[in-house]
Order: sequence, then structure tokens, then C-alpha cells
Amino acid sequence: MNAIEARGLSKRFGKRAAVDGLTMSIPAGSITGFIGPNGAGKTTTLRLLLGLVRPDSGTAFVLGSPLTQPSRYLPRVGALVEAPAFYPSLSGRTNLEVLARLGGYPGSRVDELLETVDLADRARDRVGTYSLGMKQRLGVAIALLPDPELLILDEPANGLDPLGIIEIRGLLRRLREAGKTILLSSHLLGELEQVTDWLVMLHEGKALFCGPARDLLALRVELVIEARDPARRELVTRIANASGYACTQDDDALRISCAAGFAQILNRQAGEAGVTDLAIQVKDASLEQLFLALVKGDVHDLGRPRIP
Amino acid sequence: MTSVVRAFRSEVLKFRRWSVLAGAGAMLGASTFIAYLTFHQIASGATGHEMTGLIAAFHTPEGLVAVIGQARSLIIAIALILVSANLAAEWTQGTLRNLLVRQPNRLAWLAGKMLAVVLFVLLSMLLTLAASSTLILILAPGQGVQTTAWTSAEGLRVFAEFLVNEALCLIGVSTLGMLIAVLTRSVASAVGIGLAYILVFEGIIAVVAPQVSQWFPGRVFNTIVGAAVPLVGPTPAQGYPAALLTGVLWIVGFVVVSALALPRQDIKA
Repeated sequence: MNAIEARGLSKRFGKRAAVDGLTMSIPAGSITGFIGPNGAGKTTTLRLLLGLVRPDSGTAFVLGSPLTQPSRYLPRVGALVEAPAFYPSLSGRTNLEVLARLGGYPGSRVDELLETVDLADRARDRVGTYSLGMKQRLGVAIALLPDPELLILDEPANGLDPLGIIEIRGLLRRLREAGKTILLSSHLLGELEQVTDWLVMLHEGKALFCGPARDLLALRVELVIEARDPARRELVTRIANASGYACTQDDDALRISCAAGFAQILNRQAGEAGVTDLAIQVKDASLEQLFLALVKGDVHDLGRPRIP
Repeated sequence: MTSVVRAFRSEVLKFRRWSVLAGAGAMLGASTFIAYLTFHQIASGATGHEMTGLIAAFHTPEGLVAVIGQARSLIIAIALILVSANLAAEWTQGTLRNLLVRQPNRLAWLAGKMLAVVLFVLLSMLLTLAASSTLILILAPGQGVQTTAWTSAEGLRVFAEFLVNEALCLIGVSTLGMLIAVLTRSVASAVGIGLAYILVFEGIIAVVAPQVSQWFPGRVFNTIVGAAVPLVGPTPAQGYPAALLTGVLWIVGFVVVSALALPRQDIKA
């Protein structure tokens, strides 16, 4: 069962295609990382899913209901899109009450959420006096207001201190254990790597990858090649550069972030050049390295979009 | 209907904002001050061409309304600013996306919000007129001014008629403010365009083509009040029933266009 299912979703603003034939699916009960460089179409996609902007073409289903009928699924969706927006001259509590009344939720839910995000002590203070981290926590409280089945969070850790980030991570895990689906857009790739079990990688409005996080991470590796000899270093660098990869030198080792299959190519070409005992260590690449490969345009080896 | 009531109750909470309260305070303070100045000028025996009508009506049942009605332009301007800024701020501040996620029925949200905002504007106007009237009634005996005609049955009828028409006028101005806010989606643009339209554009048209301008919304909303008490505004050249009908049509038109525009908008704020 998928919480979100999109087929060929497109949205243009003037001549620019913000979302361009996006096809993706997000399984229910997962924490899905939504990543891509600035301008990839992440926020527009989230706005499409929330019924805030209308698609030009394509279809999508959220919690089993079509995108064209947001009133059927939004009562079960919580969202924090972009920087949280509030009425600065009202208190945190009143800001939350405004939305609770609008959605028809009881006042007791407001108190409960202020406790959850650790804002009960400052609930009566004007939001204008809140720090960025406090505003972010209030934004998370707003998203949690309907006790949502699907939680859409855009940069929820923005402005939080390390403790706040750890708290958010814990909260997300607790929500997943409670059976919630979470779509998480973030530039904190290390954080995403720790909590997500599904990934959607967006580039120029299209999904480059949509599938289990471990599958994406397996597409790319980091090679660590022991090369004390300058001639060997030069050979390895030349082979890597010829394949479009950059080498970084770290003490007596060279590091190459590359496609999983490149280790074999390197070994073969080094052997052809007379070096048969090259010590190559293959490490899993981090999400950050994958993301860097994406923004540098080195995306050809991410494979075709994998749509389960 | 439940959605509209929820949107209304939600909006009421936002009236605690200082910007909203400041608008109502400015309406009350400035209008009462203008009423006091007008009363003081007449009571102290000031003369002048522009005062002739007011002085003549001062001791009639229309006297009190003539004095407190001198600040009507200000009340209209503040009402327009209050409504257009309040609504457009949801786009400018980005709060609209939170609201529409919790209430995806945009028309229900707009209806609930506008009911609350218009009610607030009308209550502010009522409070303003009550404060002005009370002040003048308190000051009058000290200045040797007779208030019997103002509080007579005829005086109360004139006052009630003035109130009803003023309320209609502000409802019209509020729907105009709503339309401008929905179309501009920015506080600065909504307030700027709203004031420029009412104060400048219609003013120019009134000079250049008065026969045409009498059908324009700002003029129509203004003249339906002047029809009841000519001393507080221009009277409708087309007659009260025609002006009233035109005013209602403008209100319906503004509501329909807003209701058509909002659901079709992409919320990018």
C-alpha cells in the first residue's frame, strides 16, 4: 500500500517546468527522504501534494484519494512547508489555536502538542520573540495537529541545535513506529541517511531515483586505493579522470567517489598498464557523496528512475 | 456550513493582533476627534461657507449625525485598509498555506474569514459612532447646546437610518477590499491600490465624467449614506433605490469574482 502515488505529475510556472512528469511512489509507514538540489522541484511537489498548487498534467493519489480532492485526504495530513509561517504578534499557543479551530480539533490537542515540542513554558509569549529553533518546533506542532497518517516536513531541522535535531530524529522514529508515513525534505543528508528507509531523488523536476535507501546507496561507492608510489597515483588518477571521476588524496591513499562497477574497470585498466597488485578498498558511499554527484551533473550512473 | 463556522471562530482569535486593534483604535480615536472638532467649531460660533449647512442642521434631528458623520471618509479608508491588509497578509506572511492545508475548501475559509472581518469592521464603526455621539451629548449641555431634537423619535430614526446605510457602505467597501486582496496577494499592493482607487481614481473620474462616476462602487457606497443624511456625504444623482440596487450588485460582483479567483490560484506564498 502506497501513501503517495504520482504518475507524470507536471507543473510549469511560466516557461519553467518546476515539476516535469514526476513519477514516484511512497510506501505507507516509511520515512521517505526527499532530496535534490535547490530548484529541483521539491517544494513545488510538496505544494502539489497539499493541494496548494494545481498540476498542469499527471495524476497523483494521496492516502488513496486523488489530488483533485484534497478535502478527502488533507484532514489526515500534517505539513510543514518551507520556513514555518506564523502571526508574529500572537502567542505560540494562539497561533496553534487558530489552526486547531480551523481544523476542528479540541483545545486539549493544543496543550498536548505544546508539551510534545517542549514549548509549554513559552506558549504565552509572542511568536515574534521566538528563536528560529522554537519557531521550527512550533511548525512541527502545527504539522502534528491532526494526528496525521501522513506527515510532510520540509526542512524540519532548520535552525535547530544538535539537541533539537536529535529530538526531531527521535520524534520521527516514534511516529514511524506508530505507523505514520513521513515525507521528509532536507538538506541535512547525514540526518536523512540515519532515519530514512526510502528515498526520492529529484533533479530538474524529475525523479532520478525512487526506492529503498539502501538500493540508492549501493549504486555508488567510495574506492580507497593505497598508492604510495607517485607513478601509481598518477596512473590511478589518469584512469579515474578518463572515466569522469575526480580523485582526492588522503595521506598515502587516493579516494574516488564513483559508480559501484568502476572498481572492476580500474583494476582491469591498471592491470593492462602493468600494475596488477593495486589494493582497492570498496566502501559504501554516503548520501552526501551521492548528492554531490548529482549536483555536479555526474548522474548517469544513478541509473534510470527505479519505480517499484 | 461547519467549515465556515470553524473559519469564523479561527479568524476571531486573530483580532488580538496589535495591527488589527490599532486599526480599530485609529478609527475610534480619529473619528471621535474629528466629531469633537466639528462640534467645537459650531458651538463656539464659527462661521464659513463650508459650515453653513452644518450650522443650519445643528439644532434639527439630523444635527448629531451631521457632526459625527464628518469623519465618514476616514472610517471608509480605515475599513478598506483593515480588510485588504488583513486578507492580503495571509499571502504576504505565508500563513495562507497553513490555513488551506487545514481547510482545503477555500471558499468556506474565505466566507468564514470575511464574515468575521466584516463583523469586526462593523463593530468598530458602531463603537466609533457610539463614542463620538456620547462625547458630543456629554459636551453639549456645557456649551449651552440643546440636544432634545437629537434624542427625539425623529432624531433616533435619522440615527438608525444613518447606521444601516453606513453599515451597507462598509460592507461594500469591505468586499472591494477583499477582491483587491485576493487579486493582488500582497499587503502593500492591496492597500496602495485600494486607497488609490477610492481616493484618487474615482475622484478624478468624478471630476472628468460625473455622469459615469455615479455608478462606480466607491461613489455608490458613499452616496447611499448621503441619501439618508445629505450633510454627511454626496447624495445619489440616480436616486436612492437605484443607488442601493447598484451597490448590492457591486457587492455580489466582488464576491463572485473573488470566489472564482481564489480556488484557481496557486498558493506560492
